[in-house]
Amino acid sequence: MLPRTMSRWSPETRERARRILARYPEKRSAVMPLLYLAAAEDGHLTPEGMEEVARWVGLTPAQVQSVASFYTMYKRERTGRYLVSCCTSISCMLLGADEVLAAVEDEAGVPAGETDDEGVITVEHVECIGACGGAPALQVNYELVEGVTPDTARELIRWLRSASPEAVHTDEMQELFGTRRSFDWAVPERVGAVGPFPAFEPYGTTDGNP
Amino acid sequence: MSDHVTVTIDGRKLEVPAGELLIEAAQEHGTYIPRFCWHPRMKPVGMCRMCLVELETPRGPAIVTACTTPVSDGMVVHTRNETVQRMQEGVLEFLLINHPLDCPVCDRGGECPLQDHVMAYGPGESRFVEEKRHFEKPIPISELVLLDRERCILCARCTRFSEEISGDPLIEFTDRGNGVHIATFPDLPFSSYFSGNTVQICPVGALTATAYRFRARPWDLEAVESTCMHCTAGDRINLQASHNEVVRILGVDVEPTNQGWLSDRCRFGFQYVGSPDRLTVPLIRDAEQGHTEVTWSEALDLAATRIGEVLAGSGGQSVAVLGGARLTNEDAYALSKFARVVLGTNHVDAQMDDGLDPQFLAATVDRALISDLDSAKAILVWGPDLKEEHPTLYLRVRRAAQELGAALVVVHPRRTGLDDRATHKLTYRPGEGADLLTELVAGSGRASQARQALAEGPVVGLVGRTGYGEDPRLAEAVAAFVRTLPDARILPLARRANIYGALDMGLAPTLLPGRVSVGGEGARSIAEAWGGLAEHPGLDTRGILEAAAAGDIEVLFLVGADPLRDVPDGALARRALERVPFVVAIDQFLTDSSRLADVVFCADGFAEKEGTVTNLEGRVQKVNRIVPGPGQTRPDWSILDDLARRLGVELGFGSAEAISKEIADVAPAYRGVTWDRLDWEERDGIVVPDGGEAPLRFVPADTPGTRAGGDLVLHLARVMYDDGVTVRHSPSLAGLAPGAAVHLHPDDAARLGLASAETARVVTEQGEATLPIRLDDTLHRGVVYVPFNQPGMPPLGPGPAVTVTPA
Repeated sequence: MLPRTMSRWSPETRERARRILARYPEKRSAVMPLLYLAAAEDGHLTPEGMEEVARWVGLTPAQVQSVASFYTMYKRERTGRYLVSCCTSISCMLLGADEVLAAVEDEAGVPAGETDDEGVITVEHVECIGACGGAPALQVNYELVEGVTPDTARELIRWLRSASPEAVHTDEMQELFGTRRSFDWAVPERVGAVGPFPAFEPYGTTDGNP
Repeated sequence: MSDHVTVTIDGRKLEVPAGELLIEAAQEHGTYIPRFCWHPRMKPVGMCRMCLVELETPRGPAIVTACTTPVSDGMVVHTRNETVQRMQEGVLEFLLINHPLDCPVCDRGGECPLQDHVMAYGPGESRFVEEKRHFEKPIPISELVLLDRERCILCARCTRFSEEISGDPLIEFTDRGNGVHIATFPDLPFSSYFSGNTVQICPVGALTATAYRFRARPWDLEAVESTCMHCTAGDRINLQASHNEVVRILGVDVEPTNQGWLSDRCRFGFQYVGSPDRLTVPLIRDAEQGHTEVTWSEALDLAATRIGEVLAGSGGQSVAVLGGARLTNEDAYALSKFARVVLGTNHVDAQMDDGLDPQFLAATVDRALISDLDSAKAILVWGPDLKEEHPTLYLRVRRAAQELGAALVVVHPRRTGLDDRATHKLTYRPGEGADLLTELVAGSGRASQARQALAEGPVVGLVGRTGYGEDPRLAEAVAAFVRTLPDARILPLARRANIYGALDMGLAPTLLPGRVSVGGEGARSIAEAWGGLAEHPGLDTRGILEAAAAGDIEVLFLVGADPLRDVPDGALARRALERVPFVVAIDQFLTDSSRLADVVFCADGFAEKEGTVTNLEGRVQKVNRIVPGPGQTRPDWSILDDLARRLGVELGFGSAEAISKEIADVAPAYRGVTWDRLDWEERDGIVVPDGGEAPLRFVPADTPGTRAGGDLVLHLARVMYDDGVTVRHSPSLAGLAPGAAVHLHPDDAARLGLASAETARVVTEQGEATLPIRLDDTLHRGVVYVPFNQPGMPPLGPGPAVTVTPA
């Protein structure tokens, strides 16, 4: 492994990592927020990124991998520019989530768990995303859209492809494709399936967001 | 009894220590509660659910895991009622959802806890018809260990061992839910010095060892308990053989020494015993033809004739004996008596220029026991890197610092395995240890905090040489300092096999058996018992080699000794061996050195003979025989006995056991140590009294220290895997040596213009070598670290002055 003094990360990322590390009395406690940084740095969580985190927090890479592989939101494979996560838990399922998912898969041209050839859209089905009041719901890069229908879901995918927004924003997408909404929350998130949900001030991951 | 509580287990009222875990308390009273994940030397986790029992509580029956539940007064427990039996059946049925039934081809079959538990507690039939989960099987996770993830029952014993006990968590659970499996990180193998322990404690056949895989079935094995002779801790082992071949070594859990754990060198380093390269017949060397095979009589006659001529001519002073640390105490005693009585020489040394005073190693007063580490408030390690040279001692110190709250001060020229658990770590340049010691004694400068950590006793000091560049007297000065600390005890550290036994048997120029000083009071009774003793002052290994190189030694005995590879100044050893007219080797292999011998006697080795060994605490334990030696090998004592007879002296050795009785008679410290007691009453060994006839009283030395002239100083130190015969001839270990290299601090490398160089020329007073460069920012600046005796490395010499230039 590289000595601690040699980092693959940019100076900005290293500075963020130092600030995150300073919040914890035990270095190893910083493993989760640092994994988000590693993912942001490389677009997804790479072995090199996990090794880097291991050096920062004083764990072995195997231990970091153990944490990273337990949580589904640490993406260890390349995801598309837009990660579309369709909830299929009970509230959403009762209100037609299966049809929404089928529409998303059909429009994106890939089954859940895969990314299209252009690297634009990744589809996944997820368990409850805490939007039962606005079911059926989905997320794009962890930004919520509530009350989607199979038709608006198709429009959403087409919009992502054609408008190719620099950043997705829950308010904008809700306006365009959503119907019922439960409440308004979350801050805009940068492109890529790399951020925490939502961007958490305590994690030091909100800065730099539009 | 206030520290005991009363519990009722299956209707039996029992008095058990308060706070003990239910699973332990039950077992101590004969109730075995089945378990997979619980291990007595590790913290409980309650992962496998096999130890579920029923408690009677005021709110009705409660189900708990016995491995996480401490006993409390009045507790009523059921371990075999109908509810518990149904739960046990359920747990086993669940464990078998994914576990393959490949027992007939599984190494564990026949000694498998899962197999046994399914037979004893299982439901008999499974209701599951679903497909089991599939993984590629097995995958190598290191050079030594293979992982079969299908067989794994996720008990976390291996992962807990590597984190809690050995401190190198390179395997971990990965993924979640039904996908959970044990994994290493890609391209980062489970290269732990202790990986074999995970194979031993795996409750199924998920982890298997390359050295044992498909070699035997448990019911084919013969087994005997013995003592490991790789390092000096005296670890208890179970030595197992099949069809006259040693196939496996397991750790035996004894409290005083290894607590069940072994290093991989001990566990897999038995393969040399059955190596096809073993010597099986005596050899004599001919100037033209090299070595030729001869009969024992021919070899013995030749040796006796030549030795007789030399003794008649120039006497015992021109005969010397090197080696003996690989021998049992009985063989070492035989060699000591042979040298003093038959050869009439005191030029005897079992330490291969390791540099420490034999009195310091053997006759230290206030000598600690390994178990003293458990109750120590503070531990000072100023000596070799324990992880490399005393691996099970490393585990014990690690546990003391990590679990038992001891303050740990480590002093060494570079990173050591204990650094992550050290309260204080001090680095220094070899040769400047005396300055650092002065600071530590005064509690000043950068040693002030470390000094404070040592203020509260009991203190245990583990003291030895950090490397060959270090002044050997420094260790004694450090020990002198340790003796000034409150309630302090000392473990003097040396690494060579049975070196403490060899010294106790008098294989040192200044010592006779029982730590009696040559020329001292006790020597008279030994002279009387032996019918004579050598009179002249003896030379140590360095002295012997220098005398030999100068032409003053005419006969040199090498007993399990390979000075060309094994003494730090290999060039001196070569000059010596080439100059001596007649070299006799008693060995198991043709080593670089015994290749130069005129007569080579083939000897029995480890696992082929019975005897005793003495560990670094002074604990005498048995080693036992499980296989015959190959070909015509004989025990060392018997070779010496025959040689003595041809030289007209009757040594009177009838058997190794008879020698042990003679030792008990002659050597004061070994009175009362008999094989009978060791075999039956004292299975954990007998600790002989510390100190000697003239016990060394330490006085703080006035700044010993050889200062290297230049600004670079060599740190030449041993590592676990080197090019020694036992590692080289054990195929599982041979590839693990890290290889010859020169380690430089990045700043030093830059200063020397080597920042981007691949190799460097390293030159000392004694030798030179071109070595690959490794950058190591844990080195003290100005220290050049070279691991000793790596494959293909020319002898470099101990330095300490060194120059490093672009190759």
